[in-house]
Amino acid sequence: MPVSFRYTPGVGNTAFFEALRDRGVFLGSRCADCAVTYLPARIFCERCFASLTPDIECGPEGVVVSWTVAHVGIDGERLDPAVTYCLVQLDGADTVLLHRLLGQADIGARVRAMLSEDRTGAIGDLQGFAPA
Amino acid sequence: MGPRIGIVGVGWSGFRPTTAGRSYKELMFEAATAAYVDAGVDPRTDVDSFVCASEDVEEGTSIFDEYVPDQLGGVQRPVHTVAADGLFALATAAMLLRSGIANVVAVEAHSKASDVLTPGRVDAFAMDPVLNRPLGVPALALAGLEMRRFLHETGRSVEDCAAVAVRNREHARSNRRASYADAPPDPTPLFDPLIADQAARSADGCIVVVLAGAQTRADASVWVDGVGWSQDAPSIESRDWARAVATERAAEGAYAQADLAQADVDLAEVDDAFAYKQLQHLDALGLASIDPGRVNRSGGALGEGHLHEANGLARTLGAVEQLRAGAARTAVVQSWRGVPSTSAAVAVLRAAG
Amino acid sequence: MTGRRVAVVGAGMTRFVRRAQETGKELAFQASKAALDAAELRLADVDAVCLTSAPDAFDGVHRKGDYLADGAGAWGKPFIRTYVGGGSGVFTAIQGWYTVASGQADVVLCVAEEKMSSCQPHPQGAFLTIFDNIIERPLGPNLLWIFALEMQRYMDRYGLDKRDIASVAVKNKRNAAGHPAALLGQADITVEDVLASEVLAWPVQRLDVSPISDGAVALVLASEDAARRLTDRPVWVQGVGWNLDSTYWTNRDLVYPEYVENAARMAYAMAGVTEPRKQIHVAEPYDPFDYKELHHLEGLLLFDKGKAPEAAAAGVTARDGDLPCCPSGGLLGVGNPIAAAGLMKIAELFWQLRGEAGERQVPGTPERGVAQAWGDLMQVGTVVVMGTEDARTDAAGATADQPATMLGPTPLSDAAFRAAAGAVETDLDVRYAWDPGEVMGAFLDALREGRILATICTACGRTLVPPRAFCERCFRPTDGWTEVAATGTVETFSICHVTWDMRPLEVPELPAVIRLEGSSDGGFLHKLGDVEPSAIRIGMPVEAVWRPIAERTGSILDIAHFRPRETA
Repeated sequence: MPVSFRYTPGVGNTAFFEALRDRGVFLGSRCADCAVTYLPARIFCERCFASLTPDIECGPEGVVVSWTVAHVGIDGERLDPAVTYCLVQLDGADTVLLHRLLGQADIGARVRAMLSEDRTGAIGDLQGFAPA
Repeated sequence: MGPRIGIVGVGWSGFRPTTAGRSYKELMFEAATAAYVDAGVDPRTDVDSFVCASEDVEEGTSIFDEYVPDQLGGVQRPVHTVAADGLFALATAAMLLRSGIANVVAVEAHSKASDVLTPGRVDAFAMDPVLNRPLGVPALALAGLEMRRFLHETGRSVEDCAAVAVRNREHARSNRRASYADAPPDPTPLFDPLIADQAARSADGCIVVVLAGAQTRADASVWVDGVGWSQDAPSIESRDWARAVATERAAEGAYAQADLAQADVDLAEVDDAFAYKQLQHLDALGLASIDPGRVNRSGGALGEGHLHEANGLARTLGAVEQLRAGAARTAVVQSWRGVPSTSAAVAVLRAAG
Repeated sequence: MTGRRVAVVGAGMTRFVRRAQETGKELAFQASKAALDAAELRLADVDAVCLTSAPDAFDGVHRKGDYLADGAGAWGKPFIRTYVGGGSGVFTAIQGWYTVASGQADVVLCVAEEKMSSCQPHPQGAFLTIFDNIIERPLGPNLLWIFALEMQRYMDRYGLDKRDIASVAVKNKRNAAGHPAALLGQADITVEDVLASEVLAWPVQRLDVSPISDGAVALVLASEDAARRLTDRPVWVQGVGWNLDSTYWTNRDLVYPEYVENAARMAYAMAGVTEPRKQIHVAEPYDPFDYKELHHLEGLLLFDKGKAPEAAAAGVTARDGDLPCCPSGGLLGVGNPIAAAGLMKIAELFWQLRGEAGERQVPGTPERGVAQAWGDLMQVGTVVVMGTEDARTDAAGATADQPATMLGPTPLSDAAFRAAAGAVETDLDVRYAWDPGEVMGAFLDALREGRILATICTACGRTLVPPRAFCERCFRPTDGWTEVAATGTVETFSICHVTWDMRPLEVPELPAVIRLEGSSDGGFLHKLGDVEPSAIRIGMPVEAVWRPIAERTGSILDIAHFRPRETA
């Protein structure tokens, strides 16, 4: 198919990306009834459908929930060097972020979000997480 | 509610890494013909409704539903598609039968994975396009992440997972459909701690199952006494990373419908797309202490091959064969849609008589 | 029917917009929340969720159902996405019906969503791959072709006047003028406006077509017990039907949608409707193109074959006519986010039958309506009959005009869409190598030799082109091979002036369905050449023009085109 796709981030992600780009902060939304803080921010709670406001700052540090070393890429090609990905729960959030692990850290270790200098308002504004 | 649901026919085709010279249409026609012969039905007159399971991007066709009726005998009949695994199509058939709108339903799912040259790109296309895909992370990495967290939280070891792969391939040796029973061990690291040996490899194949209510066909060999399905949060950010929550919920529904006591289960055919998933799924099904010899006696996906959206029906086929042969009385069949999905379905099957 | 009675107890929708800021998840949430609010329910009250959405290639996410599940309220709940192409929207209600009627769930949320604007450069690109991968896609078919081919055939058979057909676009866009969610409402549009609009693929003109849109719709369905607790005025799902015709659309006469009739009969039988023209008081047939509304009204048995256009022109289907059709404004008036548009028709019947349709309300007290959608490759009909059981007296218990509140979405202009912060662009670069199988493989090899092969079914006696390993009518393997001449007639044709992404073509393309001599309704899609477009006629004898042998590759393109044939 000779088509490409342009995805708008949506209302919740736009608030998250603008805060990341302009202020270098991680913006989430909290559902008080379910006691869940979503990061990135969302406009609705998936559990109870409450309407949410993006107004909870999380991070910039957090805890490694899991990590993996990717030895192959999307097409099955060997990656050399291998790339390490992780799931990190930033302080204040009840959800995790998927990104690169810059360095080594095991489950439970504290890490810090590393931001790019030139930020455009996208997930790439975050370079990854490094041991804190 | 409604009549007891029975399986009156099963048929299959393929179950090989490649099926050169046959398009998906011929694979479907062959499996359907076998199922209708097994059921003793003429689809043009005896089958009231047809439910297929497929996903467009797996097939390379938009609205793949268009291409199914002819080779199933469903032309100008009620036919519809569920964008899900075949076990969800089977659950849908149960609903159609209980609603009274159909007395005999045919269910189909297939894999023509050999037609897909870039499977990693298909899986990646299922990930969130704004938050996750721009990282270029392969969907399979999610299996590595989940496996590590699962081992951490449950205290299982990598060796426990390796034992699953060994046992499933051993079981597969008695299954003429199995392509990978004698696959040499492959310790190649993929996404630590997941190694290639513990990831099922693809195969082509098609399965068709014919179901009927007991008031129509009292001669069913297997009863489908409970069906359930669910999913955890689809997002990577808010899903549970250690437990197969969707399977827990699906099992709750299926077990309640079947009035099942777990102690009665003497066969489990569950998803093992990755060896660790089998352990995780057994936990979720409340079957952690079942005799391992009674799990995936067909060989599972590790032994038979990964049939993508047809995995659930492949497990169903394995269970039906064993129930019919008298090797078990009460089977739990479970499917999971594979990375990056959290969707799962469960069925409780009992041998008739 | 052993199952329980099922009713619709609430409905909600987003506005239909050209481009929404919201993600598909957020669109689904907005519609779902509106439906739950209308029914005064919380998400915890929902037992299961049913969702439909048309090709994944619009939103640009594989397994779109999984992706949308959280927005559709399905967290931790049983959730299935069903998918029957354009027929999906109406099918959502059918899926909801069997989920409740079977006893699987008491309260079900049915959601239909579409975010077509993600697909670039034009969402029509998603339809490039609906065509057969072996013998149609190499021709570069444009979605407009199949509608134009069908419209041409329909008009030719009955000698229809485009003015009558265009009256449907006028009716629907005017009907939508007061609809709070409509994108395309236009109170002052005329038949002349439609007839003067740009010719896209003759006979299809721009204002005959509903353009792509983003949006979502949701309904709440409940079992009888639950419905009676939730509302004084449930609208019952009295009948459902669905029917899928053969993939081999070039072997079918497109003049009449048999599969819509089959689905309608199934639904009418279940509803106890024996005289639809008397017992159906309001209809929402599927209207992505104006002629489709008419085609479908005939398939729904509400008008004789070929007679719907003159009835429409005479005002029978106007909101104040004998049989109001698309009082919502339909797809032509409200918009066409495909699955959502279909479910919108069910929502409209729900509001009409409860007297809640505000400015759109049809006069009198309609008690029963039918909604219908269509899709796949001119193939599927989905039909739902809905009705109230108690005669409604005007204003008794009527609530605010519906849809009462819409939470969104936020429409984006083209400039804002291009500039949206955080927007991500990507290609879809998945590669396939489709195994044609032995039969199609032999067919392609024969094309390279300048021959057209067919398979034979000795049971029904048919000679089949495109050849297949099985006869779909008899459900048995085909018995043998034969060759048919590369001559035939034009079954239907179009003159197409635009590319699939709506750019003008200097030289129009001439797609046609060629009916081959010596075959039984056999034939395939191809193009005409060496002919003046104005000289093409249905029934015109044609012959294949083969490429030079050295240039043939074993493809449908080994035939360069078909040209007029001199007959003795």
